[in-house]
Formats: sequence, C-alpha cells, structure tokens
Amino acid sequence: MVVYAGGNIEVALSSLFLGPITLAGGLQQIFVLFVMFYTMALGVGLALKAGLWNIGAQGQFLAGTVMVFFVYLYLAFLPWPVLYVAMILGAALGGLLWIAVPTILRVRFGANEIVVTILLNVVAINFGFYMLSGPIKSPGTALGFPITTVLPAKFQIPNIIGSVPITYAVPATIATGIILYFLVERTPFRVKANTVGESPETARYAGISIPYVMTITMLAAGALAGLAGATYMMGYRYELDIGSFSTNYGLLAIIVALVGRKHMLGIGISAFFFAYIAYGAESMATTVNVPTYVVFAMEGVMMIGILMGNYLTERRNVT
Amino acid sequence: MISVSDIATAVLSTTLALSPFYLFAGMGEIVSEKSGVANMGLEGVMLMSLVTTFLVDYKTGNPWIALFAALGTAGVIGVVFAFFALQVRLDQIALGLAIYLFGLGFSFIVFNTAYPSGLTPNYATLPPIFSGWGTVPVIGTIFLRQNVMAYVSIVLVVLTSIFLSRTSLGLRVLAVGENPKAADNMGVNVNKVRFLAILFGALMFGVAGSYFAGAFVPGFQTNIIAGRGFIVLAMIYFANWKPYRTLFAALSFNLVYALQNEYISIAGSTVASVSTLFNMLPYVFLLALIPVFGRKARAPKFLLKPYRKG
Repeated sequence: MVVYAGGNIEVALSSLFLGPITLAGGLQQIFVLFVMFYTMALGVGLALKAGLWNIGAQGQFLAGTVMVFFVYLYLAFLPWPVLYVAMILGAALGGLLWIAVPTILRVRFGANEIVVTILLNVVAINFGFYMLSGPIKSPGTALGFPITTVLPAKFQIPNIIGSVPITYAVPATIATGIILYFLVERTPFRVKANTVGESPETARYAGISIPYVMTITMLAAGALAGLAGATYMMGYRYELDIGSFSTNYGLLAIIVALVGRKHMLGIGISAFFFAYIAYGAESMATTVNVPTYVVFAMEGVMMIGILMGNYLTERRNVT
Repeated sequence: MISVSDIATAVLSTTLALSPFYLFAGMGEIVSEKSGVANMGLEGVMLMSLVTTFLVDYKTGNPWIALFAALGTAGVIGVVFAFFALQVRLDQIALGLAIYLFGLGFSFIVFNTAYPSGLTPNYATLPPIFSGWGTVPVIGTIFLRQNVMAYVSIVLVVLTSIFLSRTSLGLRVLAVGENPKAADNMGVNVNKVRFLAILFGALMFGVAGSYFAGAFVPGFQTNIIAGRGFIVLAMIYFANWKPYRTLFAALSFNLVYALQNEYISIAGSTVASVSTLFNMLPYVFLLALIPVFGRKARAPKFLLKPYRKG
C-alpha cells in the first residue's frame, strides 16, 4: 500500500513502529491521540454496556469543538478562570445536546440509535461548516476562509512539566477513566446496564428503569465526546478549521471501546495501544511523504487485524 | 427572469437524477440486512467502485467496461467482508467501519497514484451511460434525459420486492435473518444464503458508486460521497426494510435536496453565508420523519448476530 502510494518501504516500516518514540513531537501526538481515544471510547463503551451503539461520537466531538469557540467568543465578558471552565463545560454540553436527539428518539420513540447517530454525524459536518463560515469565524480573515481565531495561551491546556509536551489533559483523562471505573464497574449500575443491554425483558422484570439507564449512558457518552473536542482544541490544535472535520477519531473510538471489552480501564489500555499505532501510521505517512489519507486505509486494515487478534484471544479464553 | 416551470423542471430532474444512487445502495443493503448482516462499510465500497469507474472510464473511454470494473472491485470487497463477517464472525459494525476507513483511504491512494498532481483530469470522457434522448421539452428534460441507470434502478426496486416476497431464495434470505436456527433445521445453508446476500449488496453498492461518478460531482475528491452512503442506512430504516417505501424515502429526500439546491442557486450570494444551513435540510427532514415512520420499523430479528452451527 505504501509502496503503491510512492514511498520507501524500509523507512516506512521503521517509522511505523519506532516513529512514535524517535520522531520529534511523537510523544505529544501519542498522548493527544490517547486522550481523544480514551475520552470518546469511554462514552462509546458506556453506551455499549447498555446495548446502545453510539456511532455518532464524531458528530458529538465536532459539536464540542464548535462550542469551545462559541463560548469563547460569545461569553467573552466572563473573567478568565470562569470562561476557561465555561469553555470546557460548553464543549461537554455541545456533545450532550448533539446526542440528546438520538437519545430522545430512542427512549421516547424507540428509534434505532445507530441510524440516528450516523445521520447526525453528517449533519454535524454541515453545521460545523456553517458555524465556521459565520458565527465563530475569525474576524481577521478577510477572504472568508473558514477558520477560527487562535486561542491565546491562557486558554490553552498547559503542559505538566515545562517543555515536555504532555498536557494536564492526560492525567485528567486517566482520572475520568478511574472515576468512571468506580462509578460504573464497582456499583450495581454495571449489572443494571448489562441487564438492559443483554435482555430488556429481564431488566423490566427486575424493575430496572430502562429509559433511565439508556438516557444516563447516552448523555454521558455525548458529554464525553464533547469533552474530547475541548481537549483537542484547547490542548492541541488551538484553532478550528475544516481539517478537524475530516478526522475520523470518533469512528476509531468504537473499535477502541470494543477491543477494551467495554471495561472502563481496559479501554484505557486499548486507547493507548491504538494511539501508538495510529500515530505510527501518521508518522509513517509524513516521513515517507505519502498523503495523510493513506492513514485511513492503514487504520482500516489494522482494525480488521486487531479485531481478529481480539477475536482469537477471546475464543481461546472460552475453550 | 426564471419561470416557474423552469424551476420545477430543474427540481424534478435533479430529484430523479439523484435517486439511482440511493436506490441501488438501498436495495443492496435491504437484501443484506434482511439476511441478518448489516454492511456499514457501504460507503467504503462505493468510494472504491467510484474511483475504479473513474479510472477505467478515463483509460478505455467505455462507461460499460468501467461499470463492470466497478462491479469487480465491489465484488472483491464483498467477498472480503463476507469472509470476516461469516467465517471469522467479527463484529459487523466494527468490520463495516473498518471497510469504510479502508475505502476512504485506499480510493485516495489509487487516485493519487494515477494522478499525482491531485488535479482531476477533464471529465468529458465520462458521459451518462445513455445519452441523447432528451430533446423533448419538459418531459424530455425530466424523464428522457435521465441516465439509463435511473430506469434500471426503478426496475430493481420492483424486482427486489418480488424477490423477497415471491421467490424461494428470497424467502430463505428472510428466514436466515429472522430465525437462522429454524432455517438451518429446515436444511437451509445459513451462511451460504448470507454470503449471497452480502455479495448482492456489495455489487449494488458498486453500481451506486459507479453511478455517483457520473451523476453527482464530476471529478474525484477524497471523501467525495461525504456520508451520503450512510444516509442509505437511515432511508431503509425509515422505510422499514421495504423496497417501495425506500423508493418513496429516496424520492422525498432528493426532492428536499433539489429544492434547497435550486433555492441556493437562484438566491445566489444573498444566502451564501447560510447555504450550509440549507444543505442540512434533507438530513434534518429525514431525521424529523424517523419518530413518525420509524416507530413501526422492525429490524430483522437476527440482524448483526453471526450464526454458528450447532
């Protein structure tokens, strides 16, 4: 595939596996991807526990990125620390609102959440284009180029240690995972969600409120994907342009959640693993100078490989 | 001044011109899902067939050869999908998304290898598959100038409906989607039927992708289908997996699309800043209809569930 796209295979392979460690900025990239994957996959995994497929993490993520700038521009009168928190909460709210539609349609009308969340991904891209071309566009760009202003340093998520490019988003994400682990895996909620997911009839029999479990898990999933949008903007990109719309992190998060077996800590390990290979693919694309879209093709192939590996180990555990 | 009849002609002609894409893909996905296998990678298959059509047509100048090449590409991906879904029994949603990402990236690689400049070569060599009919005013523009695939797609809807309700293979497709265990006991080879359904689905995505190459935007860009393939999933859900209702869903969706498209082109620069909001309308329309029509929608019982004998 790489050779086909015009690259040198030896350089390509070495940067695929070693690139994440050796390349400048590799560490930062891995942790950025880790934060994105872990945050979004936690949400996807949470909904999956209740048997719900959130294919729309990408849309909720985009809603989150848009809300960061919407809050930044329209609530600019707030003092610094308040605005800072408001931007993060705004992103979570954006993701939450974006998933509220499929949640309502699922809980109230019994509509299939897979279909609705997919549909809303497409709507999110159009909505994002609209916001970028008007309400949150940088006033500085005269030619109408759809891009926002760059967030000033005090609105960026700072590094933990000076120049090492690992931001506070990393421990915050891990903390979120651990908190969710105690809230979900160590309480009766796990059983409730699993029952709703595995057998709604049993859940009804046991007196578990299905709408409640569904609403909570779905809304949490949306808020988490929105938060991923905040960390992406405030901790890495600092400005929103159409490039962020063509990322597919939300789709990859689904695989991350599946490989992590829907377990709040397992997803963390799987997220790190994915961040490593996804960045490996990205660094390979840049070092041998093949186009970035190659990454998607490679990720597709890798996903099938990983799923197969996952399937084989699962089967061995059963027999 | 643009007359009302001109606008109506343009809107209706666009509505019909866009339908085959959704109908081919829709019929393919209906048969596939009825057998219990959802192929969420349909957009990846379409992108690969689209780029195949584009390159082969450009090299040979023959759109029919291009169509067959696209079918070949789609068939290969279909077989790969079927292997992983039926033999390895991978999660269908994850597998579909993997196929999508693969198609998204690989279609670009293929295109980029053929045209490293990134520029789309002149598309004049990609004519509609059947042209030169429409000299009759109004009727001619709306109906007769349509690509021959527009008619084939309508016939396909009828055939799919007959296939699923009247033929023995069609009934076997329904049986393995509703109750594979019982079907197996009755001597139906579950995975063979599912394989055929998946292959048919993939081939239809291939035709849809091939049609897209000539019908929507001339030229190739990365991610050119831009989520429209996924919309098919919403359409057949809305249509409760029924072929005729899918026709209705596709036509009404396209009508809204054509109306907003025509409005933007007439209103021009005055609405340029909100044109992307108008672009959202067809999707929002479909979304708004889901609580109305989707309530009664009932998926095949064993959709997404792999079957293991014994």
